[in-house]
Parts: sequence; C-alpha cells; structure tokens
Amino acid sequence: MFPFREYAAVLDFFSPEAKELVRSSPAFTSLPQEVLDRAVGRLLWKTGSEMVVSFSPEEVRKEVLSFFLMCQALASVSYPYSREVRLAGEKTEEVVRYRLYHLFKGYESPCLEVIRRYLRVGELGELGRIPREDLFRIRNSSLREAGILLPPESVPPQHQPRYFLPWTDLAPLLRVGRVQLTDLYLVEGRAVVTPYQLWDLFSGLMGLKCEEYVASLYERFSERKPPEVLVKVGERISSLLPPPEVELGARFPRGRLRKEFFPPCVKRALAGVGSGGRNYAITVLLTSFLSHARLPPPGRVVTRIRDLPEGFSVMKEEIIPLIFEAAERCHPPLFGDQPQEKANVYYHLGFGMTTDPRPEDSGKSKWYSPPNCRKVSSSAPFLCTPDEWCREIKNPLTYYYKRLRLEGRRDGVPKGDAGGEKEVLPGGVEQA
Amino acid sequence: MEQLAFYLKENFPFSAYVSVALYEKPSKREGWIKSELAFDVDAKDLPVKPCGCGEGQVCERCLEEARRVVMLLSDVLSSDLGLRDLHFSYSGRGFHLRVLDESVSKLEQNERAQLVSYVTGGVVPTDLAFVLGYSRVFREFCVRTLEHLPEEKLREVFPRLAKKIQEKKAEVLEALRLGRGEEIKGLVGREERLLEFLARLNSGWVDGKVTVDVKRILRLPSTLHSGVSMKCLYIRDIENFSLDQAVPRFVLEGGKG
Repeated sequence: MFPFREYAAVLDFFSPEAKELVRSSPAFTSLPQEVLDRAVGRLLWKTGSEMVVSFSPEEVRKEVLSFFLMCQALASVSYPYSREVRLAGEKTEEVVRYRLYHLFKGYESPCLEVIRRYLRVGELGELGRIPREDLFRIRNSSLREAGILLPPESVPPQHQPRYFLPWTDLAPLLRVGRVQLTDLYLVEGRAVVTPYQLWDLFSGLMGLKCEEYVASLYERFSERKPPEVLVKVGERISSLLPPPEVELGARFPRGRLRKEFFPPCVKRALAGVGSGGRNYAITVLLTSFLSHARLPPPGRVVTRIRDLPEGFSVMKEEIIPLIFEAAERCHPPLFGDQPQEKANVYYHLGFGMTTDPRPEDSGKSKWYSPPNCRKVSSSAPFLCTPDEWCREIKNPLTYYYKRLRLEGRRDGVPKGDAGGEKEVLPGGVEQA
Repeated sequence: MEQLAFYLKENFPFSAYVSVALYEKPSKREGWIKSELAFDVDAKDLPVKPCGCGEGQVCERCLEEARRVVMLLSDVLSSDLGLRDLHFSYSGRGFHLRVLDESVSKLEQNERAQLVSYVTGGVVPTDLAFVLGYSRVFREFCVRTLEHLPEEKLREVFPRLAKKIQEKKAEVLEALRLGRGEEIKGLVGREERLLEFLARLNSGWVDGKVTVDVKRILRLPSTLHSGVSMKCLYIRDIENFSLDQAVPRFVLEGGKG
C-alpha cells in the first residue's frame, strides 16, 4: 500500500481518489497562486525531481488540482487535439511513466493495483510455456525501447519479461496508433511485457485520457463561457510553448477542409435542406462550424476572425463561398426569399448586420461557436442522423477534430479491394 | 428464421446478405452496437496464385489456396489473439471467416486495420527471429507468398535480383522459416527490400476493406451465389471442406442430363 490511499491519484488523475480530492477542494477561482503556477509550469517539467510527488497529502492535492486546472485552462483557449493538448497528453504520459519508474521498486504492488484498474495484468508464471529464447528477445526489445545496450548480466529488472495482459485492453492505444499490434508479443490473446513496457502502456493510456478529457471540456465550454481565471492560465500556458516546428496545418490543414470528416449534420446542411430548416442549417450550424473548423484558435482566446492570421481573407474566399453555395442548394434557395439571411450569416461570423463586411467590422457582433449536438438535435432534428462516431462526442466540431486525428493519420486500409461484386448500398453499406 | 425462409421462398431475391453489425434499429441501420470481426479471402484476388490463373480468374487450386489461407488465419486468431468463436463460410468464390468473440466486437476501424496487418503478416517485424508471436505469422505468410511467386512478378520490383532470388529460392525459404535475416542477406542481399515487398503482398491475402468496415454485409450462408451458381455455405469442418458440398442440386442434375 501507499502511505495513504489518495496517493494513487498522482498515477491516475481520473481515479476516484483524484475526483474526491477535487471535490473537497476550493473552486478553481480561489486556488492559491502556487497551484496556478504549477498548472502552467508542469508542461515544461524536464527533471525527475519536478515530476515526483512526495508522500504528503497536501502535495498530492496540489498536484491533482494543478493537473485539472491545466486541462480546463487548455480547453478554454484551445481546441480538441490541438498542439497544446497533444503536448499536455505527452507530458502527462512522461510524468506518469517517470513516477512508475520511481515508485515501482518500493511500491510495486500498489502501483500494479492502480494499473489493474485499466489493464488486466497477470504474472507471467500463470501463462503457459513461452520459449526461453523469446523471453530473451522480449528483454532485448525492452532494452532497445529504452535506448539501453548493456551486456546481459547487468540487465535492470524492469527489462525482464514479467507480466501479461489481454491485448484487447490496449484497444484505445491501438485506435490512435500509439501502439502497433505487430510490435507486441502475443500468445493466447495476451501481450507479454516487461515492467518497463507496462509503464509505457499505462502512461500512454493516461496521456490519451488527458487528451480526451480536454476534448470533453471543450464541448462543455462551447455551451457556456469559461471562467476568466482559466482563460488567463490557458493563455500563459500557450505563451510558454515553443513555436511549432511545423505549421499547425501539417496536422490539421488550415488550408483545406476535409469534408469527408464532417459530421452527418454538417454534411446534410451542406447538401441543402428544405424550407423550415434552412435558417438553422445554414446560418446557425454551417456558418459557425465551417468558420471554426477552418480557423481553429491558436492557443489564446480569439473572439474576432480578423485577429487570426489571414482570418479575413480565408473567411471571404473560402468559408463564405461554401456557405452561400449550400444556401443556394436549399429548396427553395435560402437567399431567394430571405435575402436578409446573408447579413445574418455575417452577423454570426462576428461582422454585425452587413452584406459587405470589412476587416474593421470584425467584432461588431459575436462570432458564434458551433452549437452542441443536443442543441442541434432539438432545434433541427432533421439534421441529426448520428453515425457511430457521434456516440462519443457532444459537439459537431469535436467530431471533425476526432476523425481528422484518427482517420487522417491512418495509412489507408490494407490492400485488397479488388472484389468485383462489391457495390455500395444506401447508407454506405458495402457487400462482400 | 421461419419468417426469413418464407420470405426468401416467396420473393426469390437475386442475392441475400447478412450484416456483420448489430444495430438498435436494424431496419434503419441506426444505433450501431457492435460488429463481428470478418475476414474475406477471395480466391480471384489472391496476391499470388499457385496455378497460373490471371487476375480475376478462379480455378479449384485458387480456391484450395484460399481455404489454406483461411486455416492459417484461424490459427493466428486463436493461438496469438486468443479468439475462440470462429465461423467459416464458403462465399461462392472464396471464404469468409467470422469472429463472434465479444472481446473484439466493439473494436473500431483503426484497431481492425491493425488486426489485418497482424494476421496476414503485412508489416516487417523489428525482430524476425521470435519463435512465436507476430514474427512467426510474418514468416509463415512470407513463405506462402514467396513459394508461389513467379519470377516475372519479382522482376517488376527487383529487375537485377529476380533471377538470383529465383535460383536461391529454396535456401531463402528455409532461412525465412528459421527467421534468419542475416542469412537471407547473404543469399540475395537487400533482404529488407525483399521482406518489405513480401509484406506488401502478404496484406493482399485478405480483403482488408471488409475487415475494417463495421457495417459490411456478407453473403448469407445457404443462399445461392447467382454469379457463379454455387451455394454460399456455412462450413462446419474447414479442414475437410470439399467444393462438391457447394454445388447446387440443379447444377448436378443439369450435368447428368
């Protein structure tokens, strides 16, 4: 056991212990400066001493609060799976991995207890016979992964194969490509791993949960404005980050909207809808979605399109044509009988009621965020035809970011689609 | 089931399919709950054919090769991935392997794509020499692929090496079986490129698009594949399956007449 139960929270920020600590703490608006600074600084931690938390209930509380503050602050100035959020995920992974390394020698059993909440880890002895030479090879690959090349007699114990776990427990990591199935040593449905590899898998899971948590907060903040304290911390975090090595567009291309990853409601709106639903589909949903998908916040709160690099020209040359074309596809065409809706589109983009916006008009009205799914399905149920991706998201924009992230990175589907009898049925169902 | 049988008899559909997915509202294909894990080995699309059939052509040897591949897949699925609820059917032109284990039914496209790479040996492993695990799968599929790989196909990728690989094929195959990468290098040089080429071909043993598609429909066993006049058949014993079982009675009777 750890000296006190709550210590588990420094390995698993999403544990009941961590939640309890947050519940019993003051609101974020009244946290001490020390915690605010820790929330900002934790993304820059480099040394082990910065990452380790002593066995002090107060230190544990500060650590957990600063983690949640960091997540909430990032969600208030960024967007799901942005550069900031990925860095937060990666840093969380690094911190948890280091803590496991640090704690494992003296506290293996409580560490495993925490890990077993997510991964059904067993001791290798329980598994059937594994060829001896394979055990050596697993050890060598563990050493390679750690960048260590030592003679066998001095192999640290964390690189000896000791555990197994069902490979299906790793599905979240496989889904995002953090783990490759072909890199695992699988026997009878279990992956055989060394302690070092187990730390890696568990910390990867924590990093991923951190990213998903920020995404869920983003959805919450799209319904109500985040508190000022979070915005300030979020902007401090963003300003500390090193400049991107590659333009953000390499991951989420600013120059190109990937329509294939749009949610079903947006696809429907783009295709044009019938009278009665046109205003909501075009002016409310499409306008806010396309503008925010094409112009994501750059790590600070941006309330005006003109404050974004090339924001005004992108709006005029790329976003408006898409919106107006979709309006034309409505039946009857939206602007035919409601020409004032053009001005309403610009109003929703933050340019006030105008049909000829100028950069200086930006900020005259509010730049609307995409409505949450709940709102879309209640205001325009005809737009809401959820697919399986919709199950886990609450905002159309999160849908887009999530698919960009997961499908945008997939290197195509394995070859073999030469089947001559395949045809697409209604609803995109294919036969084999 | 009776209703379905009645419907089929009354309506004579051209083809009948069943979805791999389970929905909350099946008639609308809405509310996806889970999906079978399906593998489709189509005899006409095998990456390497032992018989000399061209692309799109199928003969009994192609079908036999497809059956062997399905057996190999099922071995990997059970021995490596621990899956037990495996079902086979003859589709009329190949084989379907359907996995009903609950543990994989919720997997999404990316995980399923990774499964295709694993069970077909579609990625070169970091270490070729593990006795078990993915290295074994990779080696077995590479051997299968290289064994029947014609020299022309090799020449397309290795214009200068093709002849050498062909001449030393037996030794290369043996080195592959034993996971001796260095030995392959000694025999033909540039073993990495050869292994990458084989991995690419390996992934073609299965139609990956079927596996990753969680809403796919597959031909319903016990119905007729009208394109080839063969029965789509549920197979209870894949090891002893014979194509004769899939020939419809009307074809047999027609043959007699």
